[in-house]
Amino acid sequence: MTNYIPIINILILILFSFVMMLFKDKKKIKYISIGSNLVVFLLSIFLMVYSISREVITLSIGNPNNLLGIEFYIGKSESVVTLVFTFVMLMILWFSNFALEKEVPENRISFFYVLINILLASLLGVIYSNDLFNSYVFIEVSTLSACGIIILKDKKENIKATVKYLIMSTIGSGLVLMAIAYIYSITGHLNISLIHETIVGNYQYHENAVLIILGLFTIGLGIKSAVFPLHSWLPDAHSSAPTPASAALSALVIKVYVFMLMKVLFRMFNYEIVNSFIIMDIILLLGSMGMIFGSIMAIMQKELKRMVAYSSVAQMGYIVFGIGLGTVTGTAIAIYHIIGHAVTKSSLFLISGLFIEKTGSKKIEDLKGIGREMPLTLGLFTLGAFSMVGIPILPGFISKWYLSLTCIEVGRVPLILIILASSLLNVLYYFPIVINGYFGNDNLDGKVYNSKKVEFIRILPIVLLVLAMMIIGGISFNLIELFNI
Amino acid sequence: MDVFITNYYETGAVILFGIGFATLMLHRNLIKKIIGLNIMDTAVFLFFIAKGYIFGKDAPIIVDKFKGVDSYVNPVPSALMLTGIVVAVTTTAFALALTIKLYQHYGTVDLEDILKMRGDQND
Amino acid sequence: MERDIILKEVGKILIPLIQLFGLYVIINGHLSPGGGFSGGTILGTSLIIMHLIYGKDFIMKIYSRKRLITSLSISLIFYTLIKGYSFLSYQLHLPHPSAGVTGRILSAGFILPLNIAVGFLVASVFYIIFTIFINSEV
Repeated sequence: MTNYIPIINILILILFSFVMMLFKDKKKIKYISIGSNLVVFLLSIFLMVYSISREVITLSIGNPNNLLGIEFYIGKSESVVTLVFTFVMLMILWFSNFALEKEVPENRISFFYVLINILLASLLGVIYSNDLFNSYVFIEVSTLSACGIIILKDKKENIKATVKYLIMSTIGSGLVLMAIAYIYSITGHLNISLIHETIVGNYQYHENAVLIILGLFTIGLGIKSAVFPLHSWLPDAHSSAPTPASAALSALVIKVYVFMLMKVLFRMFNYEIVNSFIIMDIILLLGSMGMIFGSIMAIMQKELKRMVAYSSVAQMGYIVFGIGLGTVTGTAIAIYHIIGHAVTKSSLFLISGLFIEKTGSKKIEDLKGIGREMPLTLGLFTLGAFSMVGIPILPGFISKWYLSLTCIEVGRVPLILIILASSLLNVLYYFPIVINGYFGNDNLDGKVYNSKKVEFIRILPIVLLVLAMMIIGGISFNLIELFNI
Repeated sequence: MDVFITNYYETGAVILFGIGFATLMLHRNLIKKIIGLNIMDTAVFLFFIAKGYIFGKDAPIIVDKFKGVDSYVNPVPSALMLTGIVVAVTTTAFALALTIKLYQHYGTVDLEDILKMRGDQND
Repeated sequence: MERDIILKEVGKILIPLIQLFGLYVIINGHLSPGGGFSGGTILGTSLIIMHLIYGKDFIMKIYSRKRLITSLSISLIFYTLIKGYSFLSYQLHLPHPSAGVTGRILSAGFILPLNIAVGFLVASVFYIIFTIFINSEV
């Protein structure tokens, strides 16, 4: 029975999102939403425990003897990513229980819970699916529901950001669909494992086609996951969305497409094939550019949420950089960074939401002295910032450390300079908030200790997220051992 | 050159894809962008279905009796594209709804002009 | 606004036929081209025509927004339950309906109920999209 947890997860989420539409009472909707997500989280724990002792779970849906059958493929990395994603989503829902009313019009609150369930289901679908067309459908569903949760806050900015996001991501999905058409015309399969079997022996006869396929997949999924030069939609969308929505978008949604890109590159083809094309160098270049320019643009921002959103661009740079190294360890670190960043960035976004709610201003300069008014909250923010910057044992440091080691391993030592430069740039935009918040006499003037305290039950999800971040940092060695594509 | 003429479906599909992509990228008007998006999707559908078409074979519907696997075209691409069409319909409807909303708020459907208005960033 | 009498009289004859045709396409979906999506579109079109000819108030009495949302979510729940069961039943060797005789209406296992659910879903969604656009209450 444990074998079927992936499909049961998706079914539960989708089923209860439709059940929610029948109810009018917001309390009931909240209970259903949190209940279904809790069940999915518990099932994911079982799934992870089960899959760690096994190599791979493949689950064909419908008739198993059918080559066209949709297939799920759950390795160790998939199950760990699932666990982290469901955990983060549960915490975001807990937080939004208390925060959503302040940002979203009253009559739209129930939409948020419906859409969040569909969003999580489609994200899990992209992670599990071993079938290209099925992944495409899940990608489209996730894009539309992500647009839906951005536009919930009925402001001019949101509509503009959503239009931008929708246009960009439809370009992306058009390219992905074209790539799927190409691969189908070469191999006649849509199942990733079957495509792999067919293409490994034959790719040298179709070199141009394979190059086009790789390019289309990289650009298409790159647009959706905000890889550096294609990121222009991200800061608007993620900063204008309601706080829980931006946490979900930044922590989960953009990661899934990169995960899909990894599956395409390393499971559909393999390391040998993709390394013989120029595409890996381009991915590496995009990653490095993202690490540097994302951080530089984050420094220039004056609004807190925009800064955190640009920091996501920089962090996506690390993930893409790990992929671009084109080795097994590089990919493992990319997956590790996906989960580390999911936990860290969601807590940072939720804390920014609390700051904005309590100070009533989006500006970074208005956060001076916040450490006296909200000491615990800023403490949690500091821990998240430490992870982003790369203080030892926190996940950000682990990723950077292993990325540097892998750079040495593949003989590309100069790339370490980029990692170092990016870390220093991270210091430049995260630490001023912390330092201005806690220290400096002119900053703390007239601030009353603990005056803007938030009830503990509202901070608890953030505390749990930060704890999870530390645990992920602590057991990093075991985790990286597990990950492979 | 012969390659393009023998595979005229694919050639046409790729040209259409280019037209749609260019419309999507280059036009400022949002409605035209959405039209470009639809052209792009249609191009992919054409490409996919052309891959399943075999000259001289029947549509995969059993009318009187089953004539054997070899006498029908490949039904899988058509089935996939049915899903693709549904996805395209939803995306188009959503995009058009957003356009109406955008027009109500900004009074124009020109995306460049809208992006220039930095308006209510501070509220 | 008062509509043309010819439209109203022709509508009285045509709309039932359109709806009947839509139901036919849905129910015959597993035997001939068509199915839930196409039949649902036809049903939705008949609702749209009703809205255009007889006006908003007439149709809102029968198909109010709330009722449409309810029918939409019930058909979605129905679809998810049946489809989920059919996904799992192959692997777990649970009983599932036999394929039956080709050409009969009651054959092809789960496809008929799924088509019916999709048909009603698509009809309600199409009409809802139409009302959203025509009232510009996006």
